[in-house]
Amino acid sequence: MVQAVKSIALKAAQIASIPASSLRQFPPKEVVYNAGAGAPVFNAEAWSNLQQPPVSALTAFAHRIGLANVIQKPQEILQACTHRTYPQFYATHHPNDPPLQSNSNLASLGNSLLGLFATEYVHASYPHLPTRAMKAAISAYVGPLSCSNIAKEMGATPLLRWHRTEVIPTMPVPVTLEGALSTIPRALTALVYQNRSLPHARKFVHAFFLSREVDLRPLLKFSDPKTALARTVSKFERERPISRILKETGRRTNSPIFVVGVYSGVDKLGEGFGSSLKMAEFRAAEDALHRLYLTRTPPHLLTLPSHIFPEGRGSVFKLTKQGEEYVAGEIGVTEVVYASKDR
Amino acid sequence: MPRLPHRLPPTIPVKKSILVSRPANGHEVFIPQIRKLVFEYCDAWSSSANLRRYIFNHVESLARENPHVEVVVKERPSKHPIVRGFYLNNRDKVIGLKEFDVNQIQNKVQLLLDASGHKIVPLKRKTVVSTAESARGIWSGFHVQEPYRI
Repeated sequence: MVQAVKSIALKAAQIASIPASSLRQFPPKEVVYNAGAGAPVFNAEAWSNLQQPPVSALTAFAHRIGLANVIQKPQEILQACTHRTYPQFYATHHPNDPPLQSNSNLASLGNSLLGLFATEYVHASYPHLPTRAMKAAISAYVGPLSCSNIAKEMGATPLLRWHRTEVIPTMPVPVTLEGALSTIPRALTALVYQNRSLPHARKFVHAFFLSREVDLRPLLKFSDPKTALARTVSKFERERPISRILKETGRRTNSPIFVVGVYSGVDKLGEGFGSSLKMAEFRAAEDALHRLYLTRTPPHLLTLPSHIFPEGRGSVFKLTKQGEEYVAGEIGVTEVVYASKDR
Repeated sequence: MPRLPHRLPPTIPVKKSILVSRPANGHEVFIPQIRKLVFEYCDAWSSSANLRRYIFNHVESLARENPHVEVVVKERPSKHPIVRGFYLNNRDKVIGLKEFDVNQIQNKVQLLLDASGHKIVPLKRKTVVSTAESARGIWSGFHVQEPYRI
């Protein structure tokens, strides 16, 4: 019920965005002529989908995201907001017009750039993060859900031009509004790369995507953290982990609290609390693994591989000036076999 | 009753729904929340006189100084003057400008430009509203030098 109300509100936000003042004639001719019998039924939704957003909305959008000087032509912004399902839909209603350009090429280029910048950032920031968790972190930063959220927060929903195709049983996953919206930030990244340079695109991605909050702790969930910790500790050639009670209260009551620390020799690796000894031990082992895997390079010491490319407009492969010297960051120890593959 | 698998995989697979980032507007780049400003005036009534003066003298420079906002001037015959602000969260704020002078209109317009579009709620309920965890941590009776003795 709530979902239905939400989707109606979202649709209304899209439809209501085309003001009557930007149209040549309102109500349109097709509504009036349809009074006769045998004429095709006027579809208001299709008609509103065929209208172009006003130029003022496109330029305001460019200024809002700070790319007014980078993307100066409103046609480029419109192309970035046109999903690949739209040109065919437009052609069925306006067969004599030249075919529209969609953002599919820009979106795929932008997607690759996003993957590049997010991967180098996550890997350099969290050198010890296991591979699966790193892939999940990259999806969290620049994946489809984040891209669609960013598009909504930029205010691109009324500018998006797309067409929802009929759901056919044999067709692969149909396009959703979120899927269509997610192509817009990718296309914008590609436009920044095309109109400026790779370092500029990196700056754009860091500002809009990688500055957002992602909690990595839920991405590191172990079925048996004690075993994972024991194997990790043996890999680092330390003494085997032993759990010790640090504080306890309320044993044999209905609300006990135990605070347990897991030690390797005299070094405390992690601490956990719980209402049972097993629970506290589990959490202590999880905490110890988090403290290892989530060690983070401070932002001021971060060196990214793409920094070797020189600053300046145009293709980085054609510029002759040398970029910054790259100082390789710490390479983390590979994760234990137990917790890295599903075995 | 569903049975748990005999042996769970070492790392529990992560749901796709948690692979999402939270907004941090203003941390590196700020996206202003207002998208459109609509001035609605009446040509005949005297209550709109000051708004008409404002529109004649100041609206163009306002639009130039705020290129991220679409500015619309609309006639609303036989009604008192208003200004509407439309925001990115699909909400709008409407302010009546009946017999406001030009400075007061400017103040209200600035209020709309600076606003976030969220509903104004009284700050009596929650003292701190944040997405970040507390910086100093939450006090624990188990991590003090001198534990409390009854």
